[in-house]
Amino acid sequence: MTIATLSRRTLLQAGSALLASTALPTFAFAQDAASGGRLVVAADSEPKNLNPAIVASNGVFFVASKVIEPLAEASFEGKDGLAPRLATSWEGSEDGKSVTFKLREGVTWHDGKPFTSADVAFSALNIWKPLQNLGRLVFASLEAVDTPDDTTAIFRFSRPTPLQLIRNALPVVSSVVPKHLYEGTDIATNPANVKLVGTGPFKFAEYKPGEYYRLAKNENYWNKGEPKLDEVIFRVLPDRAGAGAALEAEEIQLAAFSAVPLTDLDRISKVPGIKVISKGYEALTYQLVVEINHRRKELADLKVRQAIAHAIDRKFVVDTIFLGYAAASTGPVPKNAPEFYDASVPTYDFDVDKANALLDEAGYKKDANGTRFSLKLRPAPYFNETKQFGAYLRQALAAVGIDAQLVNADSAAHQKAVYTDHDFDLAVAPPVFRGDPAISTTILVKSGTPAGVPFSNQGGYANPQLDEIIAKAAETVDTAARTELYKEFQKLVATDLPLINVAEWGFITVARDTVDNVSNNPRWAVSNWADTALQS
Amino acid sequence: MRLVRNLIGTPEGAIGLGILVLLALVALFAPVLSPGDPLRIAARPLLAPFTDPSFPLGTDRLGRDVLAGIIHGTRTSLAVGIAAALAAIAIGLCVGLTAGFAGGLVDEALMRVVDAFQIVPSFLLALAFVSVIGASVPVVVIAIALGAWADPARLTRAQVLSIRERDYVASARVIGTHPVEIALREILPNALPPVLALSAIIVAAAILTEAALSFLGLGDPNVVTWGSMIAEGRNVLRSSPSLSIFPGIALVVTVVAVYLFSEGLTKTIGRGRRIA
Repeated sequence: MTIATLSRRTLLQAGSALLASTALPTFAFAQDAASGGRLVVAADSEPKNLNPAIVASNGVFFVASKVIEPLAEASFEGKDGLAPRLATSWEGSEDGKSVTFKLREGVTWHDGKPFTSADVAFSALNIWKPLQNLGRLVFASLEAVDTPDDTTAIFRFSRPTPLQLIRNALPVVSSVVPKHLYEGTDIATNPANVKLVGTGPFKFAEYKPGEYYRLAKNENYWNKGEPKLDEVIFRVLPDRAGAGAALEAEEIQLAAFSAVPLTDLDRISKVPGIKVISKGYEALTYQLVVEINHRRKELADLKVRQAIAHAIDRKFVVDTIFLGYAAASTGPVPKNAPEFYDASVPTYDFDVDKANALLDEAGYKKDANGTRFSLKLRPAPYFNETKQFGAYLRQALAAVGIDAQLVNADSAAHQKAVYTDHDFDLAVAPPVFRGDPAISTTILVKSGTPAGVPFSNQGGYANPQLDEIIAKAAETVDTAARTELYKEFQKLVATDLPLINVAEWGFITVARDTVDNVSNNPRWAVSNWADTALQS
Repeated sequence: MRLVRNLIGTPEGAIGLGILVLLALVALFAPVLSPGDPLRIAARPLLAPFTDPSFPLGTDRLGRDVLAGIIHGTRTSLAVGIAAALAAIAIGLCVGLTAGFAGGLVDEALMRVVDAFQIVPSFLLALAFVSVIGASVPVVVIAIALGAWADPARLTRAQVLSIRERDYVASARVIGTHPVEIALREILPNALPPVLALSAIIVAAAILTEAALSFLGLGDPNVVTWGSMIAEGRNVLRSSPSLSIFPGIALVVTVVAVYLFSEGLTKTIGRGRRIA
């Protein structure tokens, strides 16, 4: 069954169908679901570069993780929260200067060539370290990768690199690509960045811009009996309102990454045959954060920051803006990271009187209009919820006499204004917690990051004590000692409030009942879906 | 005054003017009709309309009063619509007058600029302008005016071209009147009426453009507008359609009123000319 025949059928149907969505191919699957079947999934973006070894982002992983595999994947049950993929074991040395990976035997690339340690060494040294957005950080001091035999790769670091960090980063940073296709070429423009070749359960079959990605079953997958599905199709549905309707019409069977808006979940959960799942994003926790520009005299005052923290009603944010699909935050590490999370940090209850008292104490009295001072507030435009929280924050601040003027901008303009030009007083940002504070969280508060680096501390906050803890944790090899340092880090951030953590949330998957094994690992949407199946 | 009387004489003009006066009163007295910040969180979120007498049209997703939003939105819509139309007509008149009266190279150059602005879809122009400069009410007004001044400019020029050959203009020239004085005192007053008839259409288009910009999140986020209310409501369209319907009705009523008014105005001016 090929797409060509489907398109023809679609054309025949299009005449009678009134739905606007039939402009895209309508995949009729119910009658084809016999052996394995075809899973049709909503996709909302089409990344230009689909190579997860270069661009470690969720939009890329969503499609590419089925084709290109990491050394290990996140897992609910596995040791250290990991399940082996291309590596079967990993071990760090005492001094933290080397990590030895044992690789899986009998794995072949989709083009038939064998997978060896040379591919891992090439990916690490030529792509992850120099080119990848997150690998740059994790593998900053990687010097060499020794390959004594085809199934052993020994990573050698110039400075101690904690195994805990490498482990937590593995699912995200370690996508292995074939050396024989990339060696000696310009990696950034290699055609294999679009037409992927990997070792995963699905082969990259076809991409029609604006319409769909088609992945086909890899008959020679190393784990016999997998994948269960014959095909996975990512149908591009850029309109968020379209995913819910497409699920109801059974045009797609799964919509991940909250493609169905939160406000629609209550209604769609009551539709027979559709399930709403909030599991499966534990390792992709987003945090709702108020970024603060400490260059502003008023905001440099800790009392004012505490007052703002007290002025925010986290319960309202969770219940009304996120409709309950979120949790209130206590500090910079989310509850979904139990390895690091520390609940015993200073917290800020919703208390308008206390906020007013703190502001009075700080010397900012209300004027005749009841206003103490004005601020420029820039909510990030990426999510509906960040924009709504911006509107809420303006009202919450008005209640304590701070006049916040909202400034909306598109993504590019917002990032330039906040992270390059520092043209903000407060900003609402949704950073992601990526499994280890060293990967994505410490950069939000440590000093010394040059202007222009997005999603970093650009508020001019500098705290030598905090910087020291961060620097020490980066080189502490002992897992327990390192974890302890990050607990200290959380306490200090919650006390000194370089930024205010408000809430944390994961995404929601909505699927038809016929899809099995959904959300069975903490990064499910961006994992390989080898065991995902369709009931026929 | 006679113009107004004639205007009320036509049914379209009477209805349009009536609604517009009402809307203007609502806009003017918005702080009295619904005191306080219309964007403040006033009650339980998603209160259904017609259930609570203190919030007759219900509340939106954050618990903001929908009626207060519509009342204050009248202000923004009318202010932006009228200001943008005034700006567009002012620019259009100046350019058209200069081009038509000066003629020659100046005319050619100015008309090519007008061509350029007429070719670019005005909404795209506004969109690009606002997203580059940043959203605030004055920027939105300028953005809309930028896309709307070309039509009045062209119309003014055509009028001027026909009027400047009339005998009374020739006689003014013969007795040595300064060209600027001729342009402003002899030509402009006679070229104005058709341009004014166009103005109502520009106001209506400006109100719609403002709503569309706000709908796309490019309006001023610190003031409430009907477009942003409709956009907010779109997220819950299936469960609470009233959040989009009420501001939608307000928008439709306003634009229809402006069109009726412009119909009436065109008819009145036409009749007035026949009498003269």
